[in-house]
Amino acid sequence: MSEKFVRPEDYSPTEAMVIYAARFLKNFDGKRGLIGTGLPLVATQLAKMLYCPNMITFLETGQADANPQELPISIMDSRLTFGSSWQMGDPEGLFPLSRNEIDFGFIGGAQIDKYGNVNSTFVGDDYNKPTKRLAGTAGAVDIGVFAKTTVTLMAHQKRRVVEMVDYLTTPGWMVKKWPEGHLVRREELGMKGGPSTFVSTLGVMKFDDETKEMYVDKVFPGISVADIKANTGFDIDVERATQSDPILLEEVRILREEIDPLNIYRMR
Amino acid sequence: MQAKTNKLVSLNEAIQTIHDGDVLFMGSFIDSRRPMAAAHEIIRQQKKRLILLAQCSLAEDILVGSGCAAAWRGCYTGMATFGLSPATLRKIESGDFFPDEIGHIDIILGAMAAMVGSPFVATRATLGSDVLNEQYSRNEYIKDLAGHPEMIPHQKFVLMEDPFFDEGVIKLQPAMPADVAIIHVQQAGEKGTARISGSLAFDHYFVHGARTVIITAEQVVPEEYLRRDPNRNQIPCTAVDMVVEVPWGAHPSQVQNFYDTDSQFIKDYVTAAKSEEMFSQWIQEWVFKVNSWDEYLGKLGAVRLQKLRSSPPFGYRPRNI
Amino acid sequence: MKKSKIVTLQEAIQEIQDGDSVFFGGIVEDRRPIAAVCEMVRQQKRNLVLLGTCSMSGDILVGGGCLGAYRGCYSSNGAFGISPNLKRWSEEGRLIIDDIGHLDLSLGLLASMAGSPFIATKSCLGTDVLNPEYDNLPKVREIARSKELLPAKKYQLMEDPFYDMGTVQLFPAIKCDVCICHVQQAGEEGTVRIDGSLTFDHFAVHGAKKVIITAEQVVSEEFLRRDPNRNQIPCTSVDMVVEAPWGAHPGQVYNFYDMDIPFLQDYAKHCATEEGFQQWADTWIYSTKNHEGYLDKLGAARLERLRAIPPYGYRPRKQGGMK
Repeated sequence: MSEKFVRPEDYSPTEAMVIYAARFLKNFDGKRGLIGTGLPLVATQLAKMLYCPNMITFLETGQADANPQELPISIMDSRLTFGSSWQMGDPEGLFPLSRNEIDFGFIGGAQIDKYGNVNSTFVGDDYNKPTKRLAGTAGAVDIGVFAKTTVTLMAHQKRRVVEMVDYLTTPGWMVKKWPEGHLVRREELGMKGGPSTFVSTLGVMKFDDETKEMYVDKVFPGISVADIKANTGFDIDVERATQSDPILLEEVRILREEIDPLNIYRMR
Repeated sequence: MQAKTNKLVSLNEAIQTIHDGDVLFMGSFIDSRRPMAAAHEIIRQQKKRLILLAQCSLAEDILVGSGCAAAWRGCYTGMATFGLSPATLRKIESGDFFPDEIGHIDIILGAMAAMVGSPFVATRATLGSDVLNEQYSRNEYIKDLAGHPEMIPHQKFVLMEDPFFDEGVIKLQPAMPADVAIIHVQQAGEKGTARISGSLAFDHYFVHGARTVIITAEQVVPEEYLRRDPNRNQIPCTAVDMVVEVPWGAHPSQVQNFYDTDSQFIKDYVTAAKSEEMFSQWIQEWVFKVNSWDEYLGKLGAVRLQKLRSSPPFGYRPRNI
Repeated sequence: MKKSKIVTLQEAIQEIQDGDSVFFGGIVEDRRPIAAVCEMVRQQKRNLVLLGTCSMSGDILVGGGCLGAYRGCYSSNGAFGISPNLKRWSEEGRLIIDDIGHLDLSLGLLASMAGSPFIATKSCLGTDVLNPEYDNLPKVREIARSKELLPAKKYQLMEDPFYDMGTVQLFPAIKCDVCICHVQQAGEEGTVRIDGSLTFDHFAVHGAKKVIITAEQVVSEEFLRRDPNRNQIPCTSVDMVVEAPWGAHPGQVYNFYDMDIPFLQDYAKHCATEEGFQQWADTWIYSTKNHEGYLDKLGAARLERLRAIPPYGYRPRKQGGMK
């Protein structure tokens, strides 16, 4: 392996997830992204430095074209105000979504299912006495309904990548039609968009154009399709999987030295 | 629309992006921060069948008189102390221009619904009034006229029972999106961030529901300067397509912190616009015989303009000065 | 409007009644009214209905036994984990939660600001937010004192008659008894200037029956009125003004101070258990008597290290900003 690349044992799974997500954002140079809290902020910062300097960043807390000089710890961090075009509040942060102006939404979550539905509300089977209570809908539901597409980041574990989410917070390709609650394709509810990509700690997953089910598109260096199968809670299609290009020394360096030198996000 | 793009264009270029049959919102209200330079250029470029939103006041009246606009949906056809909008009245009375009345709150809620991407919002506004009289609705006419009929709702309004708070019968007011919004502001950056002083009128709502947004500004200032205090900006760069620097671009209306109303000029206009012939003469003199806003300002003369300058800290010109 | 609205924190909080629905300004750890919340715990409010978001400010109320229900969209202390008391109480089945969306919250407050009973949106279509099984609005209603402020139902679906948008959700206005906002500056008549994100404050104050402002600084009303375009809350919406410097500690206040990270981490650690929270509350709420006592306990040196620096509005990390 040449000097330019880093070996898998020299970076963490979380760093891999963030770096491959940043690479994916290349597709959105000059586009408008609504960035959720947590690791999406880190990947966005990396992407803006390396791959899409003209990405236009919106946050739910009401900044337009945010250009933070330091890595924010969440979407409410003061670091996002200075250098923005406009600083209003949460409503104005969300209205670009409901006006269908956001090209992509970028979120994390606790569970994702084979149709790309994401759960960030609760785990368990009793809403009034959940096994694990989570943060709630926040912007995740709105991003899933209104963004032209969504990108999700999440650790790849069997309990997280599941057949069906316990609570459907962020709508994916097959969603619930109320009042009955049966699954229908999102178009049936007049919803545009839909998830394009799930970047995990093991690989990059996409959704079949016909069945709308998740499949493995890329496998990270040092990871096998068997690893992904073993860490997925349903029988995932790995037929189309290819190997990701290795991670660049420069990507790791910028992530560690320039973006998060204090390891605030505990990526390493 | 990239964050790095410089959006500065000439007034002529900006106005060329307006099409016949467009739904047009002209920023601010009555005689404050009106995009007058832009209105003159629309007349020079002889746009047709425009559908105006919100008001027919100083900036719109010359469009109506010049035959650029065919219909209007809004709440006010006056010029405050200067009387009713003379050309608009004349054209309505002769059956050449079609008003569709809604309430002031309706406009705000319609702009707000467009801003938030909602098809409608519920309100008790205008209940019991002739605004709801189907006989006076011109919704179908406007929809037929519009270059983009999808910008106009299927119906002017719908009545229903409030299912939530026992408010009884309420009106569903549809969103009011525009094809083009033209806003005159005090300062804009090269990427489109805009800072307004004084009343924001409807501008901070309408820009978000418009497909194309043109900002004319008294001053183009460095974007970076405006971004040192994002809380003081009212329009984000992300909502703006074009920026034009037009000093005195709202004359004879006022621009807070820059200049006061040129009352005599408005009075002269109101008198002239009462008859078709004198209106045409006025338009010849102030629009067609001057080829640009610079020439218009030259014709007004520096001395006249200087006498209108605002003084700090008031933002207007105190009467005792 | 010439009357001074300045009161003490104790007086302001005494205006809150058991069963009131309350909305807090700010979000996550930005401009949250922590001083006001600690006083609410001291005054032992009960059965409050928290609207909006729950972070440390709401979480202290849960732990303090002040909260009967929570209706909102986000219950996390941001980088410091899911709001620990809320999480624990919810998992033990001791707290009523009714989830709505973030945009729902914005639209509900917008409708309330505009005096409209509802607004149409496609938000939450296709998700479990609309699941009738998870609709806890009736339970929230049972607890709330001012039942007329709550809608008869959570939402209604209908076909859009205007723009062919298909099925839309009618979302009702969100109204509350009391809104408490912590801000940078307020005048004695109640005019407010906010820096940084306005969060929901500029909407929420208009739909509240009573508005309490706690401010880092009370400044002269006349000073704020020299640039009305820079003010976000009009005096006409405000009932009480309290000067509470460092009133959002350990959260941040743009242009004033940055987050106290160790304090936030310590809170999260303590609140993993009921006993831990009680210990924390004994230290920081009960034994400090009032906000001044809380600040003295923190000490001037600790606070000074959090001061924001111009032109950034926060404390850059290379100058000892948060880690």
